[in-house]
Amino acid sequence: MAYSEKVIEHAENPRNVGTLDKNDPNVGTGLVGAPACGDVMRLQIKVGDDGIIQDARFKTFGCGSAIASSSLATEWIKGKTLDEAEAIKNDRIVEELNLPPVKIHCSVLAEDAIKTAIADYRSKQAARKAAETK
Amino acid sequence: MNPFEVLGFSPGYDIAADQLARRHRELSKVLHPDKFTGSGGGERREALSRAVEVNEAFRILRDPVRRAEAIFSLSGIAVGETNEPKASPDFLMEAMEQREALEDAKASGDTAAVRALGDGIAAQTTRVVEELGQGFASAQGDAEKLRALLPLLGKLRYARRFQEELEALLEES
Repeated sequence: MAYSEKVIEHAENPRNVGTLDKNDPNVGTGLVGAPACGDVMRLQIKVGDDGIIQDARFKTFGCGSAIASSSLATEWIKGKTLDEAEAIKNDRIVEELNLPPVKIHCSVLAEDAIKTAIADYRSKQAARKAAETK
Repeated sequence: MNPFEVLGFSPGYDIAADQLARRHRELSKVLHPDKFTGSGGGERREALSRAVEVNEAFRILRDPVRRAEAIFSLSGIAVGETNEPKASPDFLMEAMEQREALEDAKASGDTAAVRALGDGIAAQTTRVVEELGQGFASAQGDAEKLRALLPLLGKLRYARRFQEELEALLEES
């Protein structure tokens, strides 16, 4: 199956590959995937005090489409508020990367990773606030 | 096809490999085309199609993943990526760590590290197979209890896939 040019471009030059300190209270980590199918995706966000995503990093093991989807996701969420990032739908990734139907699950994983990272960040912040008010 | 029935086993996960091989051998001998040279066409075809079934049942039952899938399917529980529960955070973490360790080992050409990962995953496979065996035995056909075993099937698939990748890598080096 042929990959679209955009998938190849992202897969060959993935943006924002790497790791953020998962113990940093301003970092949210989303770990998703289907290991049985060879896909594991980690997406991390670093959120500023203004609630804007300052940085995003990912690490994906899987096919080119999975790598491209997460690479694109990190590009898109940087500079966005949490609510804006959370509103990103997988169809936009499908559209941008011209993903064929059999690779749509890769874009679903990327959307899921964004949401899981945001949820992790929010639960960390809530825990911190709860600890402060005690 | 019920592979357990075809090979004359009562449905269950724990099947001794030597017993399975023996049963397969015996049935293959009985159904061998040479035994049917004097028979009519109908009988010969019948023996041939049974032999094909016996071989397929053998391939299913000797494979821990397919054997588990067979038990689930016979109990009316659908298997396959979309029917099985999502991977748990712990499992994802473990898979991520193993993938990263493999990536590091590949980058530094550390064959010993790849081998160590292979040993780890083999032990993991043995553990999951044991857990599944116990799980199937104690579920006794209860659908709820059987469904609770589905994550183990996912782990087994993952472990096998990873193992195959490691083996391919070690063959290259």
